[in-house]
Amino acid sequence: MISKAAAERVLAEAVRSGGDFAELFMEDTRSNSLSLVDGAIDSANTGRRHGAGIRIYNGLESVYVHTNDTSEAGLIRAAKQAASAIGNKDVPRDITLTGSIARNIHAVERLPMDVSGAEKARLVHAAYQAAKDYNSAIKQVRAQLMGKETDVLIANTEGLFTGDRRVYTRFFVVAMASNGQENQTGSQGPGGMIGYELFRDKVDVEACARHAAETAVTMLGADNCPGGIMPVIIDNGFGGVIFHEACGHSLEATQVALDNSEFCGKLGQQIASPIVTAIDDGTIANEWGSLNIDDEGTPTTRLVLIENGILKNYMIDRLNGRRMKMPMTGSARRQDYTFAPTSRMRNTFIAAGADDEAEIIATAGDALYAKQMGGGSVNPATGEFNFAVMEGYLIKGGKIDRPVRGATLVGKGSEILKKIDRVGRNMQMAQGMCGSKSGSVPTNVGQPMIRVTDITVGGR
Amino acid sequence: MDVNEFIKKLFERAKAAGFEACEADYADNEEFSVGVKNGEIVDYNVSAGMGLGFRALSNGKMGYASTQVLDEDALDLLIAGAAENAALIENEDEEFIFAGSERYPEMDVYNDAIDQITAAEKINMARRLEKACVSIDPRVTQCEEVEIMSGSGARRLVNSRGLDVSYRENYIGLYAGVLAQGEGEVTSGSAIRLARDPKELDIEAEAAKAVKEAVDGLKADKAVSGEYKVILRGDVAGSILRTFASVFSADAAQKGMSLLKGREGEMIGSEALTIVDDPLNPASPGATPFDGEGVAARRLEIVSAGKLNTLLHNLKTAKKQGVQTTGSASKPSYASPVGVSAHSMHIVPSDISPEKLLEMAGDGVLITYVQGLHSGANQISGDFSLGARGFLIEGGKITRPVSQITVAGNFFELMKNVTAVANNLEFTFSSVASPDLLIGKLAVAGK
Repeated sequence: MISKAAAERVLAEAVRSGGDFAELFMEDTRSNSLSLVDGAIDSANTGRRHGAGIRIYNGLESVYVHTNDTSEAGLIRAAKQAASAIGNKDVPRDITLTGSIARNIHAVERLPMDVSGAEKARLVHAAYQAAKDYNSAIKQVRAQLMGKETDVLIANTEGLFTGDRRVYTRFFVVAMASNGQENQTGSQGPGGMIGYELFRDKVDVEACARHAAETAVTMLGADNCPGGIMPVIIDNGFGGVIFHEACGHSLEATQVALDNSEFCGKLGQQIASPIVTAIDDGTIANEWGSLNIDDEGTPTTRLVLIENGILKNYMIDRLNGRRMKMPMTGSARRQDYTFAPTSRMRNTFIAAGADDEAEIIATAGDALYAKQMGGGSVNPATGEFNFAVMEGYLIKGGKIDRPVRGATLVGKGSEILKKIDRVGRNMQMAQGMCGSKSGSVPTNVGQPMIRVTDITVGGR
Repeated sequence: MDVNEFIKKLFERAKAAGFEACEADYADNEEFSVGVKNGEIVDYNVSAGMGLGFRALSNGKMGYASTQVLDEDALDLLIAGAAENAALIENEDEEFIFAGSERYPEMDVYNDAIDQITAAEKINMARRLEKACVSIDPRVTQCEEVEIMSGSGARRLVNSRGLDVSYRENYIGLYAGVLAQGEGEVTSGSAIRLARDPKELDIEAEAAKAVKEAVDGLKADKAVSGEYKVILRGDVAGSILRTFASVFSADAAQKGMSLLKGREGEMIGSEALTIVDDPLNPASPGATPFDGEGVAARRLEIVSAGKLNTLLHNLKTAKKQGVQTTGSASKPSYASPVGVSAHSMHIVPSDISPEKLLEMAGDGVLITYVQGLHSGANQISGDFSLGARGFLIEGGKITRPVSQITVAGNFFELMKNVTAVANNLEFTFSSVASPDLLIGKLAVAGK
């Protein structure tokens, strides 16, 4: 990381050609990973990522240059390269930075790079054994641990000079059940902006492994899901991926500012059923999608996106805030220094409602119950989304009938939000990696059990 | 520190630390992209990056570490990291640092003409592309995004057993995403194209392709749920093949995670299906003269008229199975461990035109877009269920668009159900490609 004085010189060079704003983002990341398969650790890796990105605005034009060379000379070179794309003026400017320290919401006790290999090995072995012991049909298990410590420095021509440390720990397990002709899998991937105390306080790797094994074994005996239009009940936890895809991406300024979202111009309007309230919250201590400051140095926030069905807020970064003439919401994120930041989700969830989970199922008639969701994706411009159901059950006459596999849910975000007719009380979140314009970032999805009156279910 | 000096010091330190052998994987790249909306530059990215991966053998176990900084600290991190990581490995498989193949193929994937194109010219190309997109059809009034990108990269593998191989490549490409407005509806269309020769980038033709896709999709309805004969358009078939490419990995098979385990020599697909991996094809972004372990790359016929000839091997999986490596060691980045994958896989085209394929289908569905491959497809079971868009085929002709449908099946059954393969193989921006495929039956869900 560089000194304040050097950052001032780099930023002055960046705006010299006529830019009206410049930002320097430096990153130093150390990471490690460990993977076990077939009962033996087969891969371990350590890495160091290091570099910086310089961004310059001229009105609504934006230029981004990044480099590994973080010496002052290297950064000046990158600043000049970026500046040359902005204009050819020569406007010397004095930049004065004032240091600040971000409030740390996320205490970390045990840094992942400092935890011994032996302790990590014990965790993945315990998970492997738990999954194998669950059922003899479990033929393969992969258990992985990933840890990352990132230091960032963010400075800009408005005088900001700040830094942050982000620590991530995640466990991932996939269990495969086989009967010789067919294979099915189940997986779990809990994590947080936290150290290895994750496994003491919050996550039992053996319980996770059994859970993954249970899904795989259940799906091995399941029939293919029938296709068609039907009511769908989506359980809590990773079920929240439906809101993330069907609505969340379309509320990011990345889409809205360029008129590429079906929710453009709908602030204050009813876009969802009145029982739906949805929140994007970067401030929850030690959660996977949380932050102290975003990747532009703005303190993170708790943002109500939808309140009782009414659209209240978009998620807005600095550049798109200029385009939309609206304030930033602490939502600017990037995978690493190789990406320019843009508005992204953090921990995004449908808030707890008032409905009883047993009643939601009992009054569903004939329906699909998506107990565990896989991932999904959306085309924000058209709103077309899709989700995979990892563990599903058919409901007949309000009773859970039998497990089904291979179901996909498709539809349009704006239509599905209005068709939510039940919101349960048991809100829960789950962890995922969200890919978009500024790379892959950790996000939480979440919701209580919800019911949608009809969705197209893909099956066969 | 200069990279040659760094590698020299690294190897000296590795020897002193007692490693039996070691290897450095150095990569550097430069990339440029410009995005335009309404004639204004909305994205402009320039990058220069490098990284060095290190792997080393200690008591027969391989340890890995990587860095983007070449200084004294990085030497410590690589040596200590590789030693610690090697000590954690419990797997008993024999590991290799390869001394080199006898000869390597000549590879012409660097074109100086690309370097001659200035940033200003690329901005103009992006503006021209956007303008072309919005002047073809009144229903297309805006682009979601248009982009011109170019890049160059170099890769060098050097090890303590004498290997020192390298190559460099560059490309220029475009992306156009357009939106068509109908009565209260919006549809999207896109075109993406990568070229080694700037002359191959036909901006107007690509714009027309994106616009046609968006406009043709207006007034779509859902298809009636049922089993259909399905044509997977080449890009769709290619993306499905890419998603399931890992089933051909001997590493996955040996770990019991591919249903092709032990099936070499058996019929796994229809006689219409031939799949090759051709790393020597310069039109593919996956073109390379050597694999991730430094073994010379070569064309490999994986499936011949439905018969599985071989799985894909690196040195470790080949040794385990008592066969020769197929030169399929993967190392997608300098920092990745050695794995197994195809470099540039495609389904071999026939002489059947796409129009003839429609006739052969008679009644069915043409799928032109799928969504959800990262979530709705399972490489271990082969099951897939994807969001899709396309067209109804009636009496051998495309009649009307369908959207918000799903197409579901199983990859292993799909390979057996390939009735015919068309003649239109094209590499766009993916290292996996396919001509249009006629599939005997697939489940479509709609209304």
